[in-house]
Amino acid sequence: MVKDNTADSTSLLSKNVKIDGEVQGPENLHVEGYIKGSIKLSGDIFVGSTGIVEADIEAKSIVIQGEVAGNVVAHKQLEIHPSGKLIGDCTAASIDIKEGAVFDGRSNMIKPAGLSAGSSTATKVSAPQSPKQHQP
Amino acid sequence: MPLFGKKKPENKSARPQAAVSQKETTYFGKNLKIKGRVSGNGNIIILGALDGEFNLKGRVKIAEPAKIKGEVKADVISVNGNVRGSLVARERVHLDQTARIEGQINTPSLSITEGASFDGEITMRGRSPQASRPADADAAPAFQNTAKSTSK
Repeated sequence: MVKDNTADSTSLLSKNVKIDGEVQGPENLHVEGYIKGSIKLSGDIFVGSTGIVEADIEAKSIVIQGEVAGNVVAHKQLEIHPSGKLIGDCTAASIDIKEGAVFDGRSNMIKPAGLSAGSSTATKVSAPQSPKQHQP
Repeated sequence: MPLFGKKKPENKSARPQAAVSQKETTYFGKNLKIKGRVSGNGNIIILGALDGEFNLKGRVKIAEPAKIKGEVKADVISVNGNVRGSLVARERVHLDQTARIEGQINTPSLSITEGASFDGEITMRGRSPQASRPADADAAPAFQNTAKSTSK
């Protein structure tokens, strides 16, 4: 999370501030406030413990400590912390869901293109109350 | 190391600050584009683009690369960037020398640094009509001098 990436600056939405609308750009975003609408970043998004997002999110990496309601696309990684809550479908290249986290939705993996197909890095999701596991 | 030290982007020092010490100040970086409405309590610094509306209880600083289209409503507004639309302040407005404004300003108290550009109209509500009239009369010619006169 602290390492450098494509976006060179990090924006912060603090606790009592709310955005209604679209947010986009090559930027990292740290949300402690509230966003409703849509988010499309080429950087990372970090939804802090007081952050609430009711929006579809597309970003490089997504870290959720707060609440997200919407479909998320993480081109690199999706991480849901124990305090985090994701209601919606996720599409990610890699997922990391900690014990205690809430995830209600479907998960799709982005297949790494051009990597050695032998190493199956397929992360196994064993969400207790979601018996849908489509594996063709 | 001093000879070959690579130039690091300036965000090195800015990032920990934004994350730790400025918890209360919302910061919209220069690459962030927002379309819609931003509201709430707290201070905001914006360097990016906003197409829509700010409605804040607190201070708004529109920094130099920022481009705002729409209405900005806050307690204190200070501008270094570009605004097309209206600024409505409950306390005061300050236009710094790099400010470029097109539109309306509504504030009880105003200051403008030489070099700022302002095309538009000012109303100073929150003052008694007698007091506001000379203030407006004083202010108006001053803008025509300092502001680039694009209006006919």
